[in-house]
Amino acid sequence: MSAYQLALQQLTDSALPTGAFAHSLGFETYIDRGLVHDEASFGTWLSAFISQQLTYSDGLAIRFLYEGFDLAGLDAHLSAQLLPRQLREASTKMGGRLIEIGTEVFASAELEAYRTLVTTGRAAGHQPLAFAVVARSLGVPFEEALAAYLFAAVTSLTQNAVRAIPLGQNSGQRILRKAHDDVAAAVEHVRHLSWDDFGAVSAGLEISQMRHEWQRARMFMS
Amino acid sequence: MSSLANALISPGPSSASADRPEMGRLALVIGIRAGRSVAVQQFHQGALRVLRPHYLDGSGQVCYVMVNPGGAYLGADLYVVDVEVEAGASLLLTTQSATKIYRTPGSYAEQRMTVTLGEGAELELAPDQLIAYREASYRQNTHITVHPTSSLIMAEVITPGWSPDGASFKYRELRLRNEIHVEGDDDAALLALDNLLIRPSLGDVTSMGFMEGYSHLGSLIVVDPRVDQALADELHRLIAGYEAYSGLSLTRTLAGTTGLVLRSLSNSTEELNRLLGACTGLLRERWSGRAPLNLRKY
Repeated sequence: MSAYQLALQQLTDSALPTGAFAHSLGFETYIDRGLVHDEASFGTWLSAFISQQLTYSDGLAIRFLYEGFDLAGLDAHLSAQLLPRQLREASTKMGGRLIEIGTEVFASAELEAYRTLVTTGRAAGHQPLAFAVVARSLGVPFEEALAAYLFAAVTSLTQNAVRAIPLGQNSGQRILRKAHDDVAAAVEHVRHLSWDDFGAVSAGLEISQMRHEWQRARMFMS
Repeated sequence: MSSLANALISPGPSSASADRPEMGRLALVIGIRAGRSVAVQQFHQGALRVLRPHYLDGSGQVCYVMVNPGGAYLGADLYVVDVEVEAGASLLLTTQSATKIYRTPGSYAEQRMTVTLGEGAELELAPDQLIAYREASYRQNTHITVHPTSSLIMAEVITPGWSPDGASFKYRELRLRNEIHVEGDDDAALLALDNLLIRPSLGDVTSMGFMEGYSHLGSLIVVDPRVDQALADELHRLIAGYEAYSGLSLTRTLAGTTGLVLRSLSNSTEELNRLLGACTGLLRERWSGRAPLNLRKY
């Protein structure tokens, strides 16, 4: 057993109290429009979300952190490129919780440095960076960390969709199994992207995340 | 900062090679003289120039129209535009006609634009739509630095060009990347990074999460210390009256200034122009008592 295995499982468990249950990251807008209403339609949204948002923003942030890019600079880029306000706030809310939890149970000098940047107002504390700082300090290799992060995000979103649409529990498991291929493709894709790609968005996902701010009936904060 | 020196700095990190042929270069510095905004420096080379300036109203805002006599961007073409608006000056910069990107075999066409706005300076960027034809690849990198008191309004519409089989999305790739920095005490901080990537060559871009069944995309970016949630709510009510599928949101606030980004999907350039025109019209009226834009180009 690798030294970090259980730590990584704890860190990516959907029971980790980061508040992920409160965020749809835009899919609730599609539910409201009647476009996401069953297993297949949620799977279509999830696939787009993995190949776009999670690849170009979260995934690349994790890779650049592992490659030694300046943490404060990456944090500023995420704050600038997450243009929908609720998406930006979701990232820093969950990131803040992850930094707190990490400080309690997986303390490291690197995480302490990030925490200090956040508490002194020099960084916002974004979820993928908080995760990457902890995972790297635990010795988790990059690809394993990235795949674990992506699949944890996918799992939270799927659990939220199961509650919101609603879907059966087995349906949720089928969605997760199908997402394996998308996550594997994203891990491969992230390796080949460049700095110019960081934060590239697809208009549809972004508009839905923006529109959520004005949606009347909402289960989720984003 | 001298605009010509500024123009030599690549706008943000770009993987573009430095040796692609530069097809056109334009540099413009707008200052204020006797209450009117005027060009205090102007330089053009190759296939980019500006028409004689004009004044649309009595506000002193100068309007320049950019012209590409070649009419189109082709493979590996590089165009460089450098604009500086000095303290207190006001510029409306538009184009004479749509920017057309034709087939770009070998390498993408590229425009690099650097914009610097001084204290209290105003810039409205209102180009005609960008049309990307079959097998076109295009990158537009815009690097903007504003003072916390500057006012920036930029609107843009992207459309697919006609293709022989009548289908949309025959272009290969469009990348439009806007970096907006706010000048601070020591250095500039990144306020917004708007990095739009549409890549029809990699699959079905029309579907959910991508273009949502639409073909045309409109964007509006506003950076101004007067941008706040009340304005966002007001613009949201305004765009709700249009058929286009739109959303908008605020950036974070840096040094007292805030950005607002609006995105809109439609199948019609006219619909997007009407929607963006209604938004910029509201801002022009509210902030400077100017009438909505009516450039009468056609």
